[in-house]
Amino acid sequence: MDLHDLTAAYALDALDPDEAEAYERHLSQCEECREQLAELNESATALAFGTVAPAPPPRLRASILDTAAAERSNVVPLLRRPWVARGLGVAAAAAACVIVGFAVALSQSSRTRVVTVVLGPDRTATLHITGLSSAPSGKTYEAWVIPAGRRARPAGLFSGGGGTTVRLHGTVPRNAVVAVTVERTGGASAPTTTPLFSARA
Amino acid sequence: MDRQLAHLSDEALVALAARSEQSALAELYDRYGRTAYGLALRVVRDKTLAEDAVQDAFLTIWRTASRFVPERGKASTWILTLVHRRAVDTVRREQRRRAESLDQAAEPSVEGVEEDAWLRLQRERVQAALRRLPDTQREALELAYYGGFSQTELAERLGQPLGTIKSRMFTGLSRLREQLGEPGTEKSWTSTT
Repeated sequence: MDLHDLTAAYALDALDPDEAEAYERHLSQCEECREQLAELNESATALAFGTVAPAPPPRLRASILDTAAAERSNVVPLLRRPWVARGLGVAAAAAACVIVGFAVALSQSSRTRVVTVVLGPDRTATLHITGLSSAPSGKTYEAWVIPAGRRARPAGLFSGGGGTTVRLHGTVPRNAVVAVTVERTGGASAPTTTPLFSARA
Repeated sequence: MDRQLAHLSDEALVALAARSEQSALAELYDRYGRTAYGLALRVVRDKTLAEDAVQDAFLTIWRTASRFVPERGKASTWILTLVHRRAVDTVRREQRRRAESLDQAAEPSVEGVEEDAWLRLQRERVQAALRRLPDTQREALELAYYGGFSQTELAERLGQPLGTIKSRMFTGLSRLREQLGEPGTEKSWTSTT
């Protein structure tokens, strides 16, 4: 079986499972087939637009979105758009302090959210957040310090709501990442959700 | 309906979905849900099974959005490929169309379907491109993509060597690509709505 010959059939999902597996293994080693597949995939997908498309029942949309929300209900939506560097919501507390990361995002209610990490000369750090809604019932925000190449270390819990200042536990080594996630009340020993915010020191 | 993310590209929406932004998933559904459902319905020929295939595909998007690599292809291709794969898996598992004759993979009637203007233009464009293919190539593409037949099944049912089926699929897809033109021309299509 010449695996190069299977690209069109793979793009059309016309391979039997064992052939598809063999082709996928081949694909990981064949740049030429990857390029050809990208092209043929686009053509095959054009066929999707060649069908009559009756409107799906509205319950389908609701069902997909409800299931998606239930799967990641402990994550609070944060970003309307990528980090936008704008004016700082917090003045650099002291001249010796370094601001290592800040982010501005519009929260769901369109309030501007500013996240600032202020790193002191002794490598202790403070997190300032404005415009962060209160953590959902049964949840808490948890800050993390993640030293390069090491596991995340819990650095404090907070409940949000208006302006929040959190003094992070311990110190923040060079190149460590500071992050915030939503966790169950009481906190977790390791992050279980996608960070709302992260910055490298 | 809330369409505040309507200005974002598909790829940007996938990136937001990877950050658990539910409204991004909703926007992707609003853009491709109808095409996805039409495709799934064409392949599985059962409304409930079609809904299941679309739901599975969109939840896969939600769960694996962070692994999507824009350099490897368009987000819409990724989404509709997921939908198609689910639909084909379903139809093969259900053995639904095994008893049916090949010509039943043909286009269902437009009658009674209220079509979106832009989707109708897209459909006519793709169908016109298909009509310009030689019959044997069009047949191979339609039976594989809409009928869910594997190349081995097609070779058996059409009484042709496997090599012939492979080359019809390859040449058919390549010509379809030429007929439909480069992605850049799609922009002028969207402006016709």
